[in-house]
Amino acid sequence: MSFVWLIIMIVSIITLLFINPSAVLESLIQGANDAVTLALNLIALYGIWLGVFEILERTGAQNALARLLRPIVRKLFSGESEETEKYISMNISANLLGLGNASTPMGINAIQSMKPNEKKPKKATTNMIMLTVISATSLQVFPSTVISLRASSGSANPADFLLPCIVATIVSTAFGIIGVKVISTIEKIWTVRQEKIKLIEARTSK
Amino acid sequence: MTAYVVPLIFLSVLFLSVLRKKNAYSAFVKGAESAVGLMVSVLPYLLAVMMACEVFRTSGASGVVADFLSPALEFLGVPGECTELLLLRPLSGAGSLSILENVFSVYGADGLIGQCASVIYGSSETIFYVSAIYFSKSDVKNLRYAIPLALVATFLGNIIGCNLCRLI
Repeated sequence: MSFVWLIIMIVSIITLLFINPSAVLESLIQGANDAVTLALNLIALYGIWLGVFEILERTGAQNALARLLRPIVRKLFSGESEETEKYISMNISANLLGLGNASTPMGINAIQSMKPNEKKPKKATTNMIMLTVISATSLQVFPSTVISLRASSGSANPADFLLPCIVATIVSTAFGIIGVKVISTIEKIWTVRQEKIKLIEARTSK
Repeated sequence: MTAYVVPLIFLSVLFLSVLRKKNAYSAFVKGAESAVGLMVSVLPYLLAVMMACEVFRTSGASGVVADFLSPALEFLGVPGECTELLLLRPLSGAGSLSILENVFSVYGADGLIGQCASVIYGSSETIFYVSAIYFSKSDVKNLRYAIPLALVATFLGNIIGCNLCRLI
């Protein structure tokens, strides 16, 4: 993340330095302004959804949803508390419904409440990576924004791209999940082997 | 169809609270309260990502990188006209939406280019944005392989989606 950010900033600023140096600050301010505007809008949206979620919490509906999705959630995320499982199931259901702004607060809560990496607390655990990858590869089955934009651009059949789009969504998420599982398994095997080597070395040095 | 999702969710939540005899109003206020604090911790990340995306776009650097990459993408079946969209989609929702609009107005929404652009936008997420925001309240700062894996997975989905557009 920090590396990509650094590269993008440096490359863009150097390019602008040659073309139009005064545009550097202008575009930075433009981006920052957009961020603040978006943040204000998001306070409103998050406020609405977090309010609705609190009602759901008090009626016990969140627990019911978590129980319903538990078999799937436990397959993907092992060893997390029931509270975290609840956040994860809320996050995934909202994502599936295409309610990105409703799912984000639950994603933040889920990551925050997950068990940290014991040896290296600054590094993400496999479960954290799993949730990030699932959300970041898009779960939205029905991309309503694109459909309405196509309709307003005069498309004869605004929903025409849905089949390839759904296939692409499923392929990317499936590849992401399998990727996390494969990488974490390799990591586990690797650490076990490292520990064995250390043990043998300790024995032989005696 | 999607227009009914949100009203139905709201109605069922409200009816449920009546059924369970819970005070919906006080619960809503309590929940909405946390939105402000949440945004305070999210804003710096939002600022960093959106600032970088804007300067990347206005500098024309994104266009140069897109031109450089498009022959390779053409080879994989992604129309070269969609390269900049593919490049900016993981960075910014608003920025890539304006590129999508531009693609539609230049090439039309119904041709192969318009379809592939729709698939690329519709099947992907703002990966950098999501990753930065999700960890905004956590002490974890090193996401390890999360972003590269999400990028590769999305790219793979995009290629398959675009090739399906060619077939149909």
